[in-house]
Formats: sequence, structure tokens, C-alpha cells
Amino acid sequence: MANGWSVIIGLVVVVAMAIAAWFFSPKGENQVLWRSSIILSIASCFLMWAITFLAQLHPLIEPRRSDLRKEYIHH
Amino acid sequence: MAPARDTPFRSADMSMVQLYISNEIGREVVNALGELGLVQFRDLNGDLSAFQRAFTQDIRRLDNVERQLRYFHAQMDKAGIALRKLDLDVDTLAPPTTTEIDELAERSQSLEQRVSSLNESYETLKKREVELTEWRWVLREAGGFFDRAHGNVEEIRASTDNDDAPLLQDVEHHISAPEVERSFSGMNIGFVAGVIARDRVAAFERILWRTLRGNLYMNQAEIPDPLVDPANNEPVQKNVFVIFAHGKEILAKIRKISESMGAEVYNVDENSDLRRDQVHEVNARLNDVQSVLRNTQQTLEAELTQISRSLSAWMILVGKEKAVYNSLNNFSYDRARRTLIAEGWCPTHDLPLIRSTLQDVTNRAGLSVPSIINEIRTNKKPPTYLKTNKFTEAFQTIVNAYGTATYQEVNPAIPVIVTFPFLFAVMFGDLGHAIIMLCASLAMIYWEKPLKKVTFELFAMVYYGRYIALVMAVFSIYTGLIYNDIFSKSMTLFKSSWERSRRSSGTPTTATPFGLDWRWHGTENDLLFSNSYKMKMSIILGWAHMTYSLCFAYINARHFKRPVDIWGNFLPGMIFFQAIFGYLVICIIYKWTVDWFAIGQQPPGLLNMLIYMFLQPGFIDTPLYPGQKYVQIGLLLIALAQVPILLFLKPFYLRWEHNRARAKGYRGIGERSRVSALDEDDDAGAANGRHSVDSAGEGAAMIAQDLDGDDDDGHGGHGEEFEFSEVMIHQVIHTIEFCLNCVSHTASYLRLWALSLAHQQLSAVLCCIILIIMEGVSAMLHSLRLAWVESFSKFAEFGGWPFAPFSFKQLLEESEELKEYMG
Repeated sequence: MANGWSVIIGLVVVVAMAIAAWFFSPKGENQVLWRSSIILSIASCFLMWAITFLAQLHPLIEPRRSDLRKEYIHH
Repeated sequence: MAPARDTPFRSADMSMVQLYISNEIGREVVNALGELGLVQFRDLNGDLSAFQRAFTQDIRRLDNVERQLRYFHAQMDKAGIALRKLDLDVDTLAPPTTTEIDELAERSQSLEQRVSSLNESYETLKKREVELTEWRWVLREAGGFFDRAHGNVEEIRASTDNDDAPLLQDVEHHISAPEVERSFSGMNIGFVAGVIARDRVAAFERILWRTLRGNLYMNQAEIPDPLVDPANNEPVQKNVFVIFAHGKEILAKIRKISESMGAEVYNVDENSDLRRDQVHEVNARLNDVQSVLRNTQQTLEAELTQISRSLSAWMILVGKEKAVYNSLNNFSYDRARRTLIAEGWCPTHDLPLIRSTLQDVTNRAGLSVPSIINEIRTNKKPPTYLKTNKFTEAFQTIVNAYGTATYQEVNPAIPVIVTFPFLFAVMFGDLGHAIIMLCASLAMIYWEKPLKKVTFELFAMVYYGRYIALVMAVFSIYTGLIYNDIFSKSMTLFKSSWERSRRSSGTPTTATPFGLDWRWHGTENDLLFSNSYKMKMSIILGWAHMTYSLCFAYINARHFKRPVDIWGNFLPGMIFFQAIFGYLVICIIYKWTVDWFAIGQQPPGLLNMLIYMFLQPGFIDTPLYPGQKYVQIGLLLIALAQVPILLFLKPFYLRWEHNRARAKGYRGIGERSRVSALDEDDDAGAANGRHSVDSAGEGAAMIAQDLDGDDDDGHGGHGEEFEFSEVMIHQVIHTIEFCLNCVSHTASYLRLWALSLAHQQLSAVLCCIILIIMEGVSAMLHSLRLAWVESFSKFAEFGGWPFAPFSFKQLLEESEELKEYMG
């Protein structure tokens, strides 16, 4: 369900959100503030999520616990 | 082409304006403009000292009133009367008329006299009261001495004249008490009685003993209650003393010594009947004095209470009035035409508002002479005016703490609103801590009004940054969810990917959809994984942040119409940065997307890859992708090729431009010809040119004079001579700085990794609130540095000077003196 394409789909969703934010920002002298802040927030959050997701996509190491009994590990 | 209105994106458009105001309404106009708070007046009388200016007399008079008001305040403090503070949110003060100010001055003058005369009489009376009290104590205590002394008159006498002792002995057995008293004088023994401070008694005794060689008999008693010193209102412990001695001269000596030691000598009669009368008399006088004293005090307090009701308002009125006259002193006063001429900066878009205000004041005064406001052209650098609101104020403040942005460059506070809290959150990512922080900031915002009055400094600082805290908390909640940390415990929101795929193979086929897999929590190799993850994340976020910041350099260059900055600074810089660190980021992401186990290859170490890319171009340790060698060499060459462009393009272009302008015969304003002494008229010609440039309005002569004269506020930006070596040196420094900073700033973002690691590890050990405060402050400082240094250095010049309009609101907020009068 969650493979490499998720990042691309996520990017499309985020870009759509950013475009929506551009057009639906409240009008007035603070419009630039709304646009910049919302789009920047969306971008930052996406970046963070994507990094975390990609880092775990093909992990090179697996979590290892030596303090658990063998029976627990296999459930 | 100016935008339709000012936005927070850049500082507001500013105009230099000139005001012509009739002398009669000068004060009213400045008052109205002060309420508006949109004009910053320039000092047009820079050559006049403070005493020579037109309105110095008025300021002096107001200073006097202010002194009187402060005197009342001091008196109120002394009497313990509370001041009624003025809450400017509730009470509004109508701008006072001149007669009102005059009345205030007169009134405070008469009040001062009244209060000071009351005070004087109060002090005199108090002194009298203390004296009488002391006298009463002396009478009482001395009476005791005398009574005791009767018992051993013979001893005293025996000690004074030994020879006669037996002769008188039996006589004394028969004489009655009054006769005994008389016998003191009969024996030629006199006495001095008085009061002295207790701490001086020992010294007093010693001095007496030495000067009189022991020929005295001293008695003393402590006064149980401390007496109040009327001079400074401090309680003093005192003793009553009675000294008996032999002979008039010795007595006179004792008197003199007592006076010089600060003792008060009181008249006490030897006769007990007379003494009783004296006591009665003293008591009666004391009662009288006390009742008068009470009356005086009551009158004084009533007077002060009366004053205390309106003192704050008066104080603020006088403060404002003084500010008005100080501003008026900056105006140029034309005595012949009875006009005031003012110059100042104001936001261009607020000009209509200022104009209508001026019109209103003129109409209200019923003057036939109109007030004129003129926009004038100038080559002075305008001030930077960044409008803020409740939300952006604190963000703007942390940017302004670094410097004032250049006029009209991209406001650095715009990206900071998101990047500062976000980078904070990357370091502070813990859901539990973030929720506590969110609650605190929400509480501060909900009770915004009542909390505003808290004056405790540390809290006021946190309160000031309440919106920053809010955004920080919201982002921290997000990063907490990503890190899967709540009070350093993990949450099992999603099924672990390791669990699902356990049976089939060694590695999971799908990743956790959101955030870190909770399975990592508490494992042996948890740090191994999270270090690699967070380190790479820091690099990517740093790269994104710096690239984003660098883009503002492009926007700035385009706004200022400096294409050379785009071709000579922005573009080569961007290519240099992307060729090295953009490539690194792509490699990081590419490495993540490859399933190294599935293709059965050894994953390369990216750090080594980057190092070898510089040290041994063409050498590939472990390949990441085919053809890597050529790509890396190509990128390295591209990056190196940018260095000469960065170094030389801008300075040489500027020189070419300058020479071309010179060849066409243009010359900078105020630039002195250095050709030779032959054409001396060149200077005059330049001066003429200067006049013609500014001949926009009537006051042209004055402005021009001002322009070429002193650059009083040092913000003038005219007549900069082109100096190639200077430009070159500047560019060399810029190039070296930029290239080195690309490396060091990227490395600097690793603090994101270090601090988030520290936060995670510490939260397992430390108490939660201490951790939030400690870690919050440190994460905030690191995030602040990333904004100030790593981001701002990419685009912002910070060469502006702040717009400080004449505004009553600002005056009252910033004045330390008036603070205590406002609630």
C-alpha cells in the first residue's frame, strides 16, 4: 500500500493544496503573508514526511532487540 | 511602478514631504500628526544648539511643570497615597488646548507652593513635637535621678569636699526634702540635663571624663521608645542624661561639649514642685502641637489625594506637549512670513490621510491661510518601514534584532514566520512536550488582554512571543508525530512494517505510511538508524532552506533593477551550490529509493563519495549508479567555472558601465572633479546642477542647501564615487565568503540532527517542564542562528535605517518615566 509512488502522489496532493492556498488566501494587504506562510508550511511538512518515508522505504538495517524473548519477536 | 498598497513583503514606499504650516496652528498640527504617528520629522536646524531654537522657552516651562508634578508624586509616596494610574485603553485624553496647558502650569505652580508650605510647617511642627517629647522624658527621668540623688547627697559631697563631711552629716538627717534639693545649689553643685543619641553615649562619656578629669557625676537612662528624627524621618534610640558637676565653668564646659556632640540640653528645675509645673506645661504644649500637626497632615493628605486623581493624566499631557515642542524645534521658522516649514518622511500611501488631517486642523482653527503639504524628490535613502500586526510583530522583532532591512528589499521576516518555528520543531519534536507548549501559548493568547498588564520581565518576554510559541508548538506536534515520540515513548498508530513482513523475508516490502516505525523504539540499533536518518534529513532541510533563501536574492535583484546581480551573483552562486549540494541531496534521495538487498549490491557511503569527488575526481569507491564518474567530474568543473564568474563579472560590468557614462559626459551629483585646477568653474557648475535638480517647489533652495550641506543623519546616499578597487575587493570577499559558506552552512544544519537527538535522549532522563524550558530555549537559539546566519546571508543586505515616526503611542510605550503613571 505504501510504496515509492506514495511520494509522487503526496507531491501531487501537496502541489494541489499549495495552488488552492494561493487562490483561497484571504484578500487584503496580508495576502502575501497568508500565501507565503501556508505554502511554505505545506512544503516543509511534506518534505519532512517524504524524507522520513523514503528513509524507511528500503532500510539497510533492521530493528534488533536482545532483551526480548525469541517467542515475542516473532509475533 | 508601485504596488497598489504596502504589503508586509517589502518595506512601505516612503516619500519625503514638506509641510508649510501657519505659525498659529503649528502646535495643533504636530499634535494631530502625533496622534496619527506616520511622519518622521527631519531636523532642519542642525546648526542651532538646543538653546537657540524657537520653542526652547516652552520646553523649559514644561520641564518646570514636570518637575512640580514629580515633586507631588514624591510627596504622595512619602505620605503613602496611591496613584490613580491611567489606563490608556480605557481613558482617552483629548488633545489639550494652549490655555489648558497654561492653566495646568499655573495650577501646579500654586499647588506646589501650597504643598511645600504645608510640608514646611509640618516639618517645623514635627521638630517642635520631638523637642517637647524629649523634654518630657528629661523631666521624667531627671526627676528620678534627683529622687535617688537625695539618698546619697552625702556621698556626693563626701567625694567632692572630703573635709567637711562629718560636720554636715547630722544636719542632713533633719532637713526635709525641699531643703535637700536646695542643698545642691548650696553645695555649689550644678547639673546639666539633656538627651543624646544612644550610639554616641560612650564617646560622650569618655570625652567628658577626659576634659573634666573625672570631676563629674553622670547619670543616664534609656528612653524606651525610639524618637523620630524630623530631618529624615528615621527612628533614633536616645538616652536621657543628667550630669552633676562642681562649679560654673565646668558646667558651661559640659554644656558646650554636649552641644558639640549633638545632644539637646533641656532646662530642668531642681525644685520638684516647679518640675511638676514644667511637666504639666510641657504636656499641654505637646497636646497643642500634636493636634495642629494632625490637622496639617490631614490637609496635606487631602490636597495630595486630590492631586493623585489627575496626576497621571497631567504627567502624560505634559510629556506629550514636550514631545510636540521638541518636534516643532526641528522645524524651520520663517519669521517674516510667520510660517513653519517642516520636512519629513512618511509612507507614500498614507499621504492622503496626512493631507486630510492637515486640512481638518486648519479648518478647525478657522484660518484663511491653507496648510500645504508637498511631496519632494530627494536622493536620500528613505527609511525602512515594515508594518506589523499582532501576529507578525514578534517575528519582525527577531529579524530587526539582527538588523534593519534595506529599503524595499524582501522583508526577511516573511520566510522566518514559517522556517524559524519549523526548524525549531525539527529539534524539539516530541508530541507530549509540544502539547504542553501549545496549551501554554493558547492560554496566553486567550487571556491576551489581562496578561498584557503583567510587568514581570521574564513573563513579558514569553508573552511577547506568544504567537511564535503557538506556531512552534503546532509544528512540534507535527514533528513529534513524525518522530513518533510522546514524552519519549512511542505510539503504535500504524502497524509496524517489520511485523507484517517478518514471515516472508528479511526486509519489509512497504514502509510505514507516516512517521518513524515504532518498532525502532528501544532497540539496540535505534541510534544507528535515527542518526543516519536525521543526519540526512538535516542536510536536505538545510539545502532546501538555503536554496529557498537564495531565490530571494533573485527577487531583490529584479526589484532593484540590477541585472548584474542576477548574472554575476545569483546565477553562478546558485549553480555552484546546486552542483555540489544539490547533487548530494539527489544522491541521498536516490540511494533511499534503491532496494540494495534486492539487487544484491553494496550500498555506497555518500560521505566518502562527496569527499572523493573533491580529493580524487574520477575515483569512485563504491558506485551509486553507472556513469557516476563523468557526472561528478562534470559537476565539479561546472562548480569551479562559477568562481571566476562570481569574482569578475560584476566588478568589470560596473566599471564598463561607469566608463560608458563618463564617456557620455555624465557626472555624479556632488562629485568633485579631479581633473586639474584648470577648470575651477566645474565646482560651481556642479553646484548649479544640484540646484536645478531639486527645483521642484518653492523651498527648493532650502532643500538643495540642505542636500549639499551636512548629511545630518548620515543616511544620505548621494555622490558615491566609483572606485574600482573597492568594488573588486568587495566582490572578492563576497566570493570567498559565499563558496566557503556553502560548505560551512550546510554543515551547520547538522545541528538539527544533534539537537533533536539530544532532546530525545534527555527527555528519557529529565523532568518534563525543566526539559521543555531548557530544550525549548536552546532549540530556539539554534533555530534563530539558522535564520540569521545561514538564511539571511544568502539574500538580505541589512543596510537600512528604521522609520521612527513621531507618534504619541510609541512615545508613551517607550518612555520609562511615564511608565509608572500608566496602568
